[in-house]
Order: sequence, then structure tokens, then C-alpha cells
Amino acid sequence: MSYIIASDLNQALQILRDSKGQARVIAGATDLFLQTLPAELVDLAELYETTQLEESGGLLSIGSAVTHASAARSLLIRSKAAALAEACAMIGSPQVRNIGTIGGNVANAAPAADAAVALVALGAKAVITDIEGQTREEAVEELYAGYNRSVIDSSSEIIGRLVFKPCAAGEGSAFMRFAPRRALALPLVNVAARIRVSGRRIEAVRMVAAPVKPAPTRLFETEALLQEIIPGHEIWAKVEEAAASEVEVRGSILRCSGQYRRHLVGTLAERVLKEAYQRACASDGGET
Amino acid sequence: MKKQAINFELNGEPVEVFTEASGSLLHLLRGQLGLLGTKEGCGAGECGACTVLLDNQPVNACLVPAAKIEGKQVQTIESLSTSNTVHPLQESFVKKGAVQCGFCTPGMVLSAYALLKANPDPTPGEVKEAISGNLCRCSGYKQVEEAVLDAAEKKDQASSED
Amino acid sequence: MWGKKQEQNRSEREFSGCGSYQSSEVWAKVTGKAVYGIDLEFPGMLYGKILRSPHPHARVKSIDLSAARAIPGVRAVLSAQDVHCNPYGIVVDDEIPLAVDRVRYIGDEVAVVAAVDQKTAERAISAIKVQYEPLPAVFNPAEALDKQAPQLHEDFPGNVAWKRDLIRGDPDTAFREADLVVEDSFSMPSVHPAYLEPIACVAVSEYGNGVTLHTALQSPDLVRGIISRALNLSSSLVRVIGPVMGGGFGGRVFGNLKLYILSSLLSIHTGFPVKMQLTREEEFTVGRPMIAAEINLKMALRRDGTILARESKIITDNGAYSAQAPWVSKTFSERNDSVYRIPNIKTRARLVYTNKVPTAQYRAYGNQSANFACESLMDQAAKKLNMDPLELRLKNCTQAGDTTVHGLEIKSCALTKCLQRAASEIGWDQRKSGRGYGISSGIHANGSLVADKNFRGASVRAALELDGRVSVFTGEQDYGQGVHAAFACIAARVLGLEPDQISVYSRDSLVTPFSQGALAMRQTTIGGRAVQLAAQELQKAIIQKASEISGEPVSLENGLLKNASGHLIELSEVATGYHRQTSGLTLVGEGKYVPPPSDYDETSYGNISVTYSFASHAAEVEIDKRTGAITVHRIVAVHDSGQIVNLLTSRGQVCGGVTQGLGMCCYEGYLFEGGRVVNSSLADYRIPTALDVPAIDHVFIETEDPEGPFGAKGMGEIVMVPVLGAIGNAVADAAGISITDLPLTAEKVYQAMSGRECAK
Repeated sequence: MSYIIASDLNQALQILRDSKGQARVIAGATDLFLQTLPAELVDLAELYETTQLEESGGLLSIGSAVTHASAARSLLIRSKAAALAEACAMIGSPQVRNIGTIGGNVANAAPAADAAVALVALGAKAVITDIEGQTREEAVEELYAGYNRSVIDSSSEIIGRLVFKPCAAGEGSAFMRFAPRRALALPLVNVAARIRVSGRRIEAVRMVAAPVKPAPTRLFETEALLQEIIPGHEIWAKVEEAAASEVEVRGSILRCSGQYRRHLVGTLAERVLKEAYQRACASDGGET
Repeated sequence: MKKQAINFELNGEPVEVFTEASGSLLHLLRGQLGLLGTKEGCGAGECGACTVLLDNQPVNACLVPAAKIEGKQVQTIESLSTSNTVHPLQESFVKKGAVQCGFCTPGMVLSAYALLKANPDPTPGEVKEAISGNLCRCSGYKQVEEAVLDAAEKKDQASSED
Repeated sequence: MWGKKQEQNRSEREFSGCGSYQSSEVWAKVTGKAVYGIDLEFPGMLYGKILRSPHPHARVKSIDLSAARAIPGVRAVLSAQDVHCNPYGIVVDDEIPLAVDRVRYIGDEVAVVAAVDQKTAERAISAIKVQYEPLPAVFNPAEALDKQAPQLHEDFPGNVAWKRDLIRGDPDTAFREADLVVEDSFSMPSVHPAYLEPIACVAVSEYGNGVTLHTALQSPDLVRGIISRALNLSSSLVRVIGPVMGGGFGGRVFGNLKLYILSSLLSIHTGFPVKMQLTREEEFTVGRPMIAAEINLKMALRRDGTILARESKIITDNGAYSAQAPWVSKTFSERNDSVYRIPNIKTRARLVYTNKVPTAQYRAYGNQSANFACESLMDQAAKKLNMDPLELRLKNCTQAGDTTVHGLEIKSCALTKCLQRAASEIGWDQRKSGRGYGISSGIHANGSLVADKNFRGASVRAALELDGRVSVFTGEQDYGQGVHAAFACIAARVLGLEPDQISVYSRDSLVTPFSQGALAMRQTTIGGRAVQLAAQELQKAIIQKASEISGEPVSLENGLLKNASGHLIELSEVATGYHRQTSGLTLVGEGKYVPPPSDYDETSYGNISVTYSFASHAAEVEIDKRTGAITVHRIVAVHDSGQIVNLLTSRGQVCGGVTQGLGMCCYEGYLFEGGRVVNSSLADYRIPTALDVPAIDHVFIETEDPEGPFGAKGMGEIVMVPVLGAIGNAVADAAGISITDLPLTAEKVYQAMSGRECAK
């Protein structure tokens, strides 16, 4: 096996082209030793294109090789995509966050990947370039082919960055997880939400939960409950019920029963929506 | 197995090694370079015993492909002491009783070292967060936390005396 | 700074001991220079790997080693046919090094390989072809007791590995005449000590003259005996040398005997050193976790809270082979009966073979898991009596001078004070609403006759070196808990020296005195007393020699030798004088501590230990009622471990032990599926991280024990005994319902609370 640290995106694509399916791209490589190794690895962690984090043209653009630690620290992300900063701060351990990347979190297609859950709630799209030089955008939730299987073919496609609209005034986002331990733990459930308000009325809402299906899952019925209303006690209680009943969840000996996981989805959905709502209201009228 | 040349900075010195590209940084350090201070507790990034600093950031050496360190700085526990001096942080670890079996200690010290470099005056909560990827079965972490805070205080004093 | 005596912590109170001295090894550890088992390398060293059974229970029909043997770089491939070994074990001899015709759990050792490197060894393992015929397996102790159940060992009919039917006093009458009887059932899964360093060893064949085993053990001398029996080697030809140990917690009293025996066999077979090491997964799947247990408890009380009787029905899960499981089951079944005055006892216990990972022990030997059950029932009784749980405990506390229901003679005991102090520290009288509070007590032996009825003491050799320093040779093992520092403090105190003038050596079974080692919390009390006696003998010898040399009476005070005219004599002068006079002998003091006669009868009634340590812990918790998540805010640990020898390391024991107790109570436990361990990694077997640990406060109530050195008692295991009861009771208090099934996960708390809501 050979290992190449690519110096720019074109070089990385060239290597993939030349290797005819024998090479694969990686970034943080934290899951590398858990898999069978290909003949060639192309490391994207040092590319200019994949390590930038910026706001331009009305979009937040996060390079796929931005680490969880830098995303969690970034003032830009903390102020305009709080859910993502919160998610990145809870992944694994400091050591894993220092090397694991946002793009890897998406491309690995783990069903409870914290960053991916936040990205879906934020409405993020992956900007993907293939070896033909074609670039396309796909919603993060569309990138899942099954449990731990991505539609991205890492021998011919590269996620360059993830883009979404930053939270503006009147918008708020939040992420929460429930894990059996406060560090070094996979979550039993993780949720994220993004809400836009006008006055105290909810104008738009995206609510995501995992692990429910292979991909982070939008809770459309729960979202519908909150559209165009000023939420009060009754609604929040309904939100919990709706979120819990909207999901099909599985249990496992290792983690918890399906019934309990369903209950957690409900509780966390309500909590994360409330938090996102409060943040949205607080930022309405110029406060951040 | 194919080997490739890797150039990097190890504990402040330039190093060139020929190593299996598919191997981990941990195996490079322990197996090839004889730096046994970096411990292996699980080999899966779940215990933090193999924590080293990669460009000043704590990482699990067992999860880092050796080839990834090309051009980077790697710092191991061996860098913090000489034959007759130890780092003040290590003194604090001893003074506060933060070392029992000692197996997690090198990784724990490096996590704390990186924290103090980035944040010279951490809160107890920040210390706990910084060492949350380093499992310790002996101490209950309390003495580790005290040691890191003690070292931070020493640093404060040292800098106010300047 | 190097090796210097540390500044003493005077903030809390003046302690009797030597403050915060640590032995110099701590500097090797903190700088990464300490050499652990996994770090060992020898010239020509080979790597050993084990082929393990994929079946929980199967007949081995054939083993074909030829392909493995043909691989270049492979030096030995052995199956049962190739080795001649005796059955071995710790309590009973139910193990053999390699399966002859049957495998009894997933992981059972079938064949073993030595090769020039790990990868070659792994390749050879996968080239071995074994034909199995799967047999019906049994995973549940209750099912294993069924007459129709598959039988695991011919010598143990009915799959019963050990049993106990015990009556003390007249429990039946007590239950009949009681005002209140409370009853509940509890279960505790297997738990692993989860020391951070996986077990590793290097066996070095001494060319027909035995084998030297390099591995870190809590009880190297006991392991040496077992290995020599298994391998038919003369016992003095098995030598155990210990590298630094990456954590033990009971799991390395005997460590992984199979690994030591197989690496020895491979080394003898090949003539080269052979290194073997468990992976983290193997630690969980073939290491030796502590027994799982189910216990039904019944307690009889008078209206005023006086405990009249307790009845226990216990089934413990042995797994496929019995390491220390019978002893652990015994401690589980009886130790908590001596915390409070309980005059009548009825116990029925069965240890049962199943097709699962063999079991052994973990710090506190089952005393801690039983504490969870016994102390929960105390709270349930208090509730029904409408009594404060603290008051119920205070009313029944064991006291100094008591002989308990099992015959334990309590020479020193501050349990009442421990309880009162734990309560006042946690704010028992100002309990906040919205929080849960629990309190619990424990007792633990200091050494045990159970391991060897005829051996209960320790011996130590103290030598005056030519430079005037003192070397202490002992078989008691230090692995960071601070025993050697304590010994230096004890010897220093006798001789009037500073602790850093004393070096303590223990890690070579050939040269250090025999010892039972780090088990049953015996080292400080029993080994420490032997150190004290050895230092006293050395002192006498020094004074005598110095008098001879100077020709007049000499005194030794505060480390200073003075003759009658007040002239100072250096210790090194005495040492060299003696050395020259005797052509090289060293001035030595030998100390043997033989505890007062004690014995136990066939029912195990008797004073099984030298003395007993006590503790009370109190916990404050909060429950997120919507998810069941527990936050432990604070634990107060109040200990009677006699006089504290070393405050710093004692604190370390308390904080570490309490954290392990927290893990066992709220996080940890084996999960099985068809005999396979499901959570065999440190990600899935979750020990507490820095973010999970609450504030832990400690208080030492220093009794003066007549047996321990300078009144000291043991600390290392009692620290994780009452914490399970305290957290369990605090959770029950916050949840309004007892959860009886460890660990107390959020899901169980939530289910119990919602069940209670439904019942309303």
C-alpha cells in the first residue's frame, strides 16, 4: 500500500483517475485501521480546498477536512451554526476531535454521526467533485446508501466542502445527544434543530434525529406541528409525542431497547427544539 | 509490505524513517523508534494511553497512519524530561499523587501539557474536558485534575515573577 | 526534586504517618521510562499467539497443525497432544493448558503458536484446521442447575462448582417472631477490573533448568507454585520477575495463568524467549472478570429497628472454569453479615458452571456487589419502619470488641463514627429536595485464612547497605497503590531515618521472601507489620554491632548512632565494619509477623483475618426524570483504616476505589449473546471518564489497631465496598423506587420510574 498526502484537489483527482479504482481518499483516517486497506490512500487533510472555513456569497462553507476540534472552536460556526459546533464538541474524545474531520463524519455514513446530524438540520449540502471533473451538490441526508454505506465512492469522488446558509438574525440551531457516558461514547440518540422565527412565531423549522434510519432523519410531522405558530406548553408536549411516534427505532443488547430509544427521541426532540427556538427568539432583532 | 520514507520532526529533531505506510504512528514510535513511553492500552482510540502531540494537538497514535505525519511535528512523553530535569507539570503530577500504576500517565501528561499551552489558566471543568479522552482506572481523576491546576498555578507564579 | 520527600499536606490535620512520600519509581512512570510487561523485549524473542474456540461448547474432533508448521518463521505449533501438563487451578484443578477433546466457552484455548513476529504468528493461527462438533451449551446458571442441562465437568455433577448451606443461630424462629420481614432480589453482572495495561508476559527457558517468567503479578509467589505444578517443574526452578504493572485491582493476583503456562511451554519447546500478550478484546473475552450474581435477600427486624436475622439465596455464575470464583462467592455470601449486628443467618449459595468466560475476582472480592443488595434492603426496611436510614444503621452497627455472627473478632472499629461523619459531611439533616441521598457501610478483611489456612503472616528482610542506606526485601507487591512507600515510611519510623533512605525491593521471586502478595487487603497490615518487625531486628543488630565496634554501649535514636560519650557513629561505618569482619556479610534484620492464632471450622466460623477495616460512604445524586439519567454530584467516603501511614496514597486509594464503585454501580457489566461477550472493548465496556466522576471527599477516622504496624489497617479494597450501596440508595431515594439490577443505567431508572407512575 502507498500513502500519498495530496497537495491540491486536482492532484488528488489525478491520483484517483490513474489508480483506476485502486485508490481511496481519506482525511482524518481515524477509522482507517478498522477497515481493509486499499492499494493506495490519498490523504486530503492538507489541501487548501478542504481545510478552509469561511462565509462567502451568503453561504457558510466548511472544508471537508476541517477537524471536529476546529469546527467546535470556530467563532464563525459557534455564532452561525451553533448546532454544528455543539455536535463537533461531543464527538469521541479530544484526541479524536483533533484529527477526525467533518467530511469523514459524513462520508463514513455512520447512522449516529453527530456532525452529520447537525449538518442535516442546518440544511447542508456536500460539494462533490468526481474524477471526470464534474462538480455537484447533494443534500447530506441523500448521501446514505445504507447502514455505514455512503453513496460517495471514495475511489472516484471527493467531498470538497459542506455548504449551508448561516443562521441569520431570527434564526437559531441546537444539537443534543444522549449517551451512556460523558466522553468516549456513541450516543443512544442525537438530535439537532434549526428554527427561524419572526417575532415569536416560527416561520421555518428543521428537526433531525438519529440513529433512526441509516441517514440522519428529518422528523417532518414534528416540524409540521410547529410551523407558523407561537409555541406554548401544549404544543411542546405534543412535539415530544409526535417525535417519538414518528420514528421507527431499533434496540440492541449493547445500547438500549427500541422502546427507550423512541422515548429518548421524543424527549430530546422537545428539548432541542425549545433550545433552538429560544436561540432564534434571542437573536431576533439583532441579538446573537 | 511496501515501505516508504517519512520525514518529520520528532521531539524537536528532524527524523527520516522508512516504514510501512499502512502502519500506525504508535507502531512506528514503539516498534521502530523504541520510544516505549507511549503506551498501548486498546489499539482502537478508546483509552488515550497512546496520546502524543501532532503539531501540538493531542491525538491517539494508534489511529494515525504513520505516513500522515510527513512534515509534521510529533512530540512524545520522552520530550518533557532530561536525565536530571522534569517538566513542572510532571512535578505536579508526582506532588499531587496523580500517578498510581502510571500506565495512563504519559498520555495524560501530554493531554494536560497541550491544554496548558493553549490555555494557561484553565478551570477545573476545562481540565476534565481536556483529559476526558484519557482513561485512568486508578486515580478517579481527582489528583490528575489537581496536578494540572497546580502546574497552571506554578506557571502563573513564574510569569508574574518575570 | 528527584526522590525527595514531598511537602506534607497539613491543611486537613496532622496525620500520624509520613505525609506524602512516594517511592522513586513514580519518576520513571511520569517520564515514560517505566518498563511494563508490554514493553519487554529480549534478544531472539518469539511471539506467541493462541487459537481459540469459536464455539461455546463443542467436541474437538481433529486438529491439523501441518499447514501452520510449514509457514516460514514459525518456530512451534502445539496442541494438547504435544504437551504434558497437569490439570491446574486456584481453588480446584479444573483447567488444562490446551483443550484435549472439548472446548467449554468461546475463547477456550485449542492450540498455540510461536513465530518470529506477530504477523507470522497470526498467519500460522489461521492456518490451523480444527473440526468441531458443537454440543448443547448452557449460558444461564439457573438453567445449568437443571437435571437435563449439559454437564460441563465430570468432577462437578449438576454443574455445581461450589456450594454452601449455612445456618447460624436460629433464623427460622427469628423470622417467625419478627415484627417486619423485608425481601427483595438483586442481580449483578460480571465486571472486569479493566486495568489499562493488557496482560503481557515473556517466558524465558533456562535450558532444561526451568523457566523465568517476566510478568507483573500481585501474587507472583502463588502463581509460581501453580505454574510449577502444571508444568511438572521443580518449584525453585520457576522464577517470576515483575516489570511495572499497569493496574491490577485483583485481576492480577493470578493474572492469566493460561498465558503464563503456554508461553513457558513455547519457550521450553523452542529454546527462545516467548512473548504473549492479550489484546484488549481478549482481556474482556478470555480474561478473568468477577462472577455475576443473583441474590434473594430476606431480613427480619423488630419494630424498634433491631435486626434479628438475614437469609440469602445466592446463585453465582462461574463461567466455564473456576479461578477464584469459589472464594469470591464465599465472600459475597457472608462478608456483609458482619457490618451490622445480625445474630441469625441462613445462607444457601450455589456457584454454577456455564459455557461462558471463566471468572475470578475484582477489588473487594464480591463484598462490594453484595453491599449493593444488603444496603438496599436496609433502606427498604427503614422505609417500612418509618425510620431514618441513618438511625437504623446506627442502631445496629458492629462495634469494637464484637465477635460477629461468622466469628470475626473485631479489635478496632469506628463504624458508628464513620456513619455519623458521612452523614454530617453529606448534609444528611439538610437534604435538598430534588436530590437523592444514600448512605451505606462496609467491612473488609485484612488478609484471609481462606487462601491458605496454615499461612497467614509475612516475613521481610531489612539490610543495612554499606553506604548506610537500608534495603527492605519483601514479597509484597507495589503497583502504584503506595505499599512500598508505606513500607519505607514504616521502616524509616522504626529506624529514625527519612523514607527516602529506604529502598524497597519485591519483584524477583528468587531473591525476595515468599509472600501471598497483594490480595485480601493484607499488605499494609500484615506485610507492613513484618517490615516494622524486620526494622526493629535490624535496629537491634545495628546497636549490637556498633557497641562491639566502639567497645561501649550505643544508642540509636532518630537515625543517629551515639556512643556513651555522645560521639556520633555513621551507619555506614557500622555496615562496613561488619562487612570487613565477616568477609562480606550484610547486617540484616529478619522480621516475621505471625498473627495471633485463629482458625475456622468446617462451616467457616472463625476469625478469618488479622483485623478488619470499616467505612461508610454517602452519596448525593440527581435524576433527570424524563430520561432516567443519573448525575452523581458528590460522594463522601469516611474510612476507618486505622492509623494512616501515607495521606497522599491513601487519598489516591479512596478516590480511585470510589470511582471504580461508581463504574460498577452505574456503567459497567458484561453483556452476553449466546455465550459471546457483546461489549468486549473499552468503547462498549464503559468505565468512568474524567467527566463522569463527581466530587469525592474523604475523611479518615484513625483508630489504633493492635495488630497493624503503628495501628494501621488496610485500605485498598474497602474503598470500593460501601460506594455501591450509597449510590444505589441515593438513586432509589431520588427515583422513589429501588432498582435492583446492576448497573443502574438511565434506561433502567426510567423504566422503574415510569412503572411506578403507572402503578399510582
